[in-house]
Amino acid sequence: MIRGLWDRETVALMLLAAILPVAVTWLVIEGPWALARLGFFLLVAGLWHVLWMLARAQPPSFAGALTALALAMLAPEDLGIFALVLGTSFGVVMAELAFGGWGRNILNPATVALAFLGFSFPASGWPGLAIPVGWAVIPAALIGAAFGVISARLLLGALAVMALAALAGIPFPDKLAIYGVVLVLLVADPVTSATTALGRWLNGALYAALALMFAAYWTGAHPVQLAVSAALLTSLAAPLLDEIAIALWLTLRRRRLG
Amino acid sequence: MPWLFRSGLEVSLADTPPAPGTVERAITEEAALTATPEEDFRVEPLVAKDDFVAQGAPVLRSRRDPRVVVTAPMPARVAGIDLGPGHRLTRMRFFHEDSAGRHTHEVGDAAGDSDALRALLLGSGLWTQIRSRPFGRFPDPDEEPAAIFVMAVDTRPLAPDPRRALDHEFGALERGLRALTLLTGGPIHLCQPPGEDLVGPARVSQRLKVVKVAGAHPWGLAGFQIHRHFPAEIGRPVWELHAEDVAAIGDLLATGLVNDTRLVSVSGPAMRSARLVRCQPGADLRGLTWHDVKPGPHAILSGSALEGRESQWLTGRDRQVTVIDPDRHGPRPHWFLSALKRASRPLPLIPSAALEQATGGALPAMSLLRALSAGDSETAVKLGALSLLSEDLTLADYVSGADPSLSRLLDAMLARIAAEEAI
Repeated sequence: MIRGLWDRETVALMLLAAILPVAVTWLVIEGPWALARLGFFLLVAGLWHVLWMLARAQPPSFAGALTALALAMLAPEDLGIFALVLGTSFGVVMAELAFGGWGRNILNPATVALAFLGFSFPASGWPGLAIPVGWAVIPAALIGAAFGVISARLLLGALAVMALAALAGIPFPDKLAIYGVVLVLLVADPVTSATTALGRWLNGALYAALALMFAAYWTGAHPVQLAVSAALLTSLAAPLLDEIAIALWLTLRRRRLG
Repeated sequence: MPWLFRSGLEVSLADTPPAPGTVERAITEEAALTATPEEDFRVEPLVAKDDFVAQGAPVLRSRRDPRVVVTAPMPARVAGIDLGPGHRLTRMRFFHEDSAGRHTHEVGDAAGDSDALRALLLGSGLWTQIRSRPFGRFPDPDEEPAAIFVMAVDTRPLAPDPRRALDHEFGALERGLRALTLLTGGPIHLCQPPGEDLVGPARVSQRLKVVKVAGAHPWGLAGFQIHRHFPAEIGRPVWELHAEDVAAIGDLLATGLVNDTRLVSVSGPAMRSARLVRCQPGADLRGLTWHDVKPGPHAILSGSALEGRESQWLTGRDRQVTVIDPDRHGPRPHWFLSALKRASRPLPLIPSAALEQATGGALPAMSLLRALSAGDSETAVKLGALSLLSEDLTLADYVSGADPSLSRLLDAMLARIAAEEAI
């Protein structure tokens, strides 16, 4: 008879609130140019949301702002307007709206858009993120985990792999800030990451492992490309990780209950 | 930091008056036996309008199985019997008449013989207080359960403490539990709050297992305890009883009388002060609430704020009455927004820690809920849906604001499975 409040838009707003430290740090450091860039991506993503609302009766979501923020921070800087509109539209439409909107998509629209831009314009200049933006990832992760919209297990899985790598003497990639931003903005998206407890540990661990591997063996690529590729492969593997976790859960349960 | 690892959620209702310290006895002037169309309870009345019936005397008999009877909730005059198409019970009303007295049942050797006990439970109407999972109906008279769960814990918001209902009746509970051992060859789980055992296995049977329930809601629901300790399956039914009903079985065996009251909490944000009453089953909720309700419009629910239904009578196995403001949903949204919302049903479920805790972290919540939304009964059964009933998912409904509601989806899925299995 009574209704709680954790519906889709609440989660989207909580995610926005969690990401706020990263967004504000980035805007303060990069200045008005970044603000204009963010406005541009908000406009393109918002336009598609409104178009799909009018044409397909699909309610727009605040999650579109998360996509716009990720693209503003990570999309190549020297591309023309046309290329950016094309990439953003591909991500927002093909990865999110065509599936029925945020909550039904299987891949994060920003991940798809960035991968699309990376494949289409391999020679473009990728942005670097200032070190303070990387530090701002920590409060963002803490806020998200405290409100339960970012999985703490996923973050800990990634941290565990990093710790193992540090113990094994594997060198960390440079520009760690980029990997952190991609982790909280793209990999930890609750909709497209794994949903079981074990699956989330594996999800975070897989992202960190792929990122370390790409950084070690994929020469000539920019860290953004490495991180986005790792994020893309991880979210493609998320259903598989869930299946593994559920199969294991069922086996243990059968053994315990007979 | 035990709170960090405690699973489940506390649902608190704002402006709710505190629970009272004393229990009062309140027999309302009217009472009714009701059934919903979904229950499809087809009956034959054993009494006529204006007949006087003693408390505990049979008044209705099931047409499906004449061994199942329902008894009068109080000494009364029959005020009216409303049957729907196909003799389905809609409502049978009673007026309180003290002179009608109480009916004494012939106990015989029911305390030692399984068949006699079944006959006694069926004849006294206590049988219909048992719930069998999967599917949540009262069991077939010949069904033998694989396990029985006795719930002496209730974590629903504002629910009365079942230990309070048992005050000084641990002897009756013990007798009742001993009787239950005759009905099953499997284990009997007594779910109770942490602390000293209410009744230990040494006093009843080695098959009695005491389960200490530490988590918050939904862990005090039988569904999650059954899911965790002894999952129900088709062909392996699990019964569930409230501890107060088990004590009632113990009393019945000792005295031949059916308990005439149950402990009910009357509370909610629209009450000036909360009450804890012992009232008859099927009590008139207006009679229980009228002098304590805040002025203005309100809705009276039989059950908790989560799974309760608006009702005039205390229905089924409910042990609480919640009075809420009907207008909690705020002003009506703009027509365009509601049309958009309707167009995108079923609304997507976004995984969040709150939604996970709404199933107590007992199962892969998102996979189960997505299987329910998609109507994938095979996956849902694999993940344990047969142990659950609609009330078990009302917390997930509350948390996520799901539309259509997950509990209704589970109901529909269970009905479909039951039809497929021809049960």
